[in-house]
Amino acid sequence: MQTVVQTMQSTTYRADCIHCGNPIPSARKNSFCCRGCETVYQLLQTRGLSTYYELKKKGRSIRKSIPAQESPQKTEENPFQYLDDPEFLRLYSTLATATSERTMQFYLDGVHCAACVWLTEKVSDFVLGVQAVRLDLANSVATVKIKSTGSFGEIAQEFSRLGYRPHPVKQDNLNALKKRDERIMLVQLAIAGAVTGNIMLLAVSLYSGLTGPLAEQFKWISFFLFLPIFFFSAIPFYRGAWGALRAKQVSIDIPIVLGILLGTVMSVANLITGSDHVYFDSLAALVFLLLASRYVLRRAQQNALNASNLIHFLTPSIARVKNENGEFQELSLNLLKVGDQVEVRAGECIPIDGMVAQGQSMLNCSLLTGESQLQKVEPGEIVFAGTVNQQTPLLISVTQSGTQTRLGKILHSMEEHLNRRAPIVAFADRVSKAFVTVVIVFVGVVFFGGLYVFGGNWHQALNPALALAIVTCPCAFALATPLAMSSSVARCAKNGILLKGGDILEKLSQVSTVFLDKTGTLTHGRFEVLSWTGDSQETRSAVFALEAESNHPVAKAIVRYLEDQGIRPEIIPAVENFQETLGKGVSGKVAGHFYEIARFNDTLDSQESQAKSNTSHSSQIETQIGVLCNGQLISKITLGDRIREDAQPGLHALASLGLQLKILSGDSNLAVNSTAAQLGISLSDTFAEKTPEQKSEIVIKEPHALMVGDGANDAVALASAYVGLAVHSGMEVSMRAADSYLFSPGVLPIHRLIIVSRETMKVIHRNFIFSLAYNIIGGVAAILGKVDPLFAAILMPLSAFTVLISSMAGTSRLREVFTEEVK
Amino acid sequence: MKVLYVMLPITLLLGFSFVATFIWITLKGQYDDLDTPAHRILIPEEIPKYPKE
Repeated sequence: MQTVVQTMQSTTYRADCIHCGNPIPSARKNSFCCRGCETVYQLLQTRGLSTYYELKKKGRSIRKSIPAQESPQKTEENPFQYLDDPEFLRLYSTLATATSERTMQFYLDGVHCAACVWLTEKVSDFVLGVQAVRLDLANSVATVKIKSTGSFGEIAQEFSRLGYRPHPVKQDNLNALKKRDERIMLVQLAIAGAVTGNIMLLAVSLYSGLTGPLAEQFKWISFFLFLPIFFFSAIPFYRGAWGALRAKQVSIDIPIVLGILLGTVMSVANLITGSDHVYFDSLAALVFLLLASRYVLRRAQQNALNASNLIHFLTPSIARVKNENGEFQELSLNLLKVGDQVEVRAGECIPIDGMVAQGQSMLNCSLLTGESQLQKVEPGEIVFAGTVNQQTPLLISVTQSGTQTRLGKILHSMEEHLNRRAPIVAFADRVSKAFVTVVIVFVGVVFFGGLYVFGGNWHQALNPALALAIVTCPCAFALATPLAMSSSVARCAKNGILLKGGDILEKLSQVSTVFLDKTGTLTHGRFEVLSWTGDSQETRSAVFALEAESNHPVAKAIVRYLEDQGIRPEIIPAVENFQETLGKGVSGKVAGHFYEIARFNDTLDSQESQAKSNTSHSSQIETQIGVLCNGQLISKITLGDRIREDAQPGLHALASLGLQLKILSGDSNLAVNSTAAQLGISLSDTFAEKTPEQKSEIVIKEPHALMVGDGANDAVALASAYVGLAVHSGMEVSMRAADSYLFSPGVLPIHRLIIVSRETMKVIHRNFIFSLAYNIIGGVAAILGKVDPLFAAILMPLSAFTVLISSMAGTSRLREVFTEEVK
Repeated sequence: MKVLYVMLPITLLLGFSFVATFIWITLKGQYDDLDTPAHRILIPEEIPKYPKE
């Protein structure tokens, strides 16, 4: 499979993009991978910010870099104006009353290295009224402080120009509480560490044979040092165990707490009676190691958690409403009434369900329905929230808003599926349940057996029983799963795959069927020029001049293509008498010739067009455009939704893992079947024209299904599937529904993710074998009465250490997968 | 070994003061962001061309 990947890359890609370092598709004729990166590069040059590229070379990237986002529209108006709305400021920003400075936090898409830190913080130098910008790289959150004269809208626009799409983060108590929790966790860990170190120093002299009054005093000192651990640092375990007991469940915290309590009681009893065995050093080390592993795990999952928090920054709910005076006014969606008229400009997402009152335009419904073709709308037609207006402004009268819209209902149904989804009984839980039961039974057997052997002397019988409980305390056992998972979750995050929790890896390793959405997942999800016949330099610049005037996605695709081919906006000729006919095309006079660019069928006489439609049925999945010069057909352009470069090798690789592949799409039969045929997926595994609900029904039927999708139309299926994987897109909804999230679109990362999950489970199994082996050795020694504090002090860290090494090393395949992609 | 009765309290006191310092800075938020400072150190300090008035 590796060879497949390599040959694919060598034929399709050239060098790496100057701006983001990603491979450049062969269709592009310059040194950038996309238009977004090129724009940002030019902007940085004109602002004198080229230090960015020097810094980028020096620094290490903490996650995979993604191509710069193209700024949404070239309109004069700032799309982030809503940020300065008083109501919005109240909800999203904090005000320091003394200095009248406001603070707002933004989640920035695509920040990944030192150069990003520099660039985003530099913004305060060239936007007026900005006090300071501070970026938290690990969480991708920028904290922006402005003076009373500043504007969040302007700074957000600047971020967006630099290629980092900003999402305002809502200020709430949840974040503050989380921060407090983390700090307390760190303090608990610090105290446990300091105390453990000191107790161990004292313990060394005891092990090496110190006797007499000094030994007694050392034991007392360790006892007092141990108190903060017992009463403060170990609190998380008490809480976990108590929670599990109350829910009548067995968790790994219960044997840990049992060990801590028994060990402390026995050590204190021995301390008072003056007998030899005190276990304070082992207990302290146990608590410290466990706290440390949990802290590491939590930090590794941080990125993943933040991605799921994205719901807080869902696109703001503001609409432009026409009031009694006929003026437009921005209003919160909650305040809309049925019958209100809302204006939606080109490039904007429609916020409500409604009826078109005025204007004609083309809508992109792919996020809602999965259809790749644009839909034409006219006054009187019904439009839905979540679709994007592509061409000309529309005036829409509201029929439904908020949760009552079709999108709202999809979201609601997704929530229901999310709640209904049964939690998996993780492998670790099952094993620890068995383990805890066995230990408790053994301790009982040893105690009563001892009672019998020693003729009823309970003190003598208790000793081996307690020693057994302490030495089998599942330190390594408790570390086995979290260490292996956190190391994989962290490395996935670095590779642009976010996982919302370690258990997702276990689920992924069990997946047997993969459902893939078509639009946006297997394809690029937008129009691209597929072929162009009969062109000359003159035609190209004329076409460029005409299409640059239009907002239509087809026009944009042509402009993008021509720019990739090296046509610069500066050298294009002027257009006279420009005309755009909705749903047909554009026309105008360029350099003395009259050009028409329109759909193929309209540019040809009926005979030819009929011959064309007989030869292939492609007209519905591909759009044919003809260029007429003075009434003469001179050029033919074919556009369509191109299949991703890595789709074929990616699907191949997935199939080679023994997975069953299926396509699940809302798009038309024709489009889906043609994609399936090109990718070699049989028609029986292809589902087309499915509504979001139908998709979910199909996915539920497969017990171990992985659903991969990007749009709102996939959200329900993502939530109801055994595992949901969302692909980067404009729709945060799907990210919320899914368990995992791909930062960079493509099919190959899915293959990598499956391998990682399977290999991680192997590491976990290996860890369990190690820790069980240690526990069996300790248990046997305890029953034989051979466990003294020295034995416990050596065995415990040793077992934990083995598990740590085993987790960090992973497997050779795991290391291979991760090094393959890290750049 | 009498010196231990002096050394031991001093050691513990020193240790305690470091722990106390750590707790203090943690609660003040010094360790909230552990990743960015490692990158920020790469950014060269800028010397203003003109002295501020």
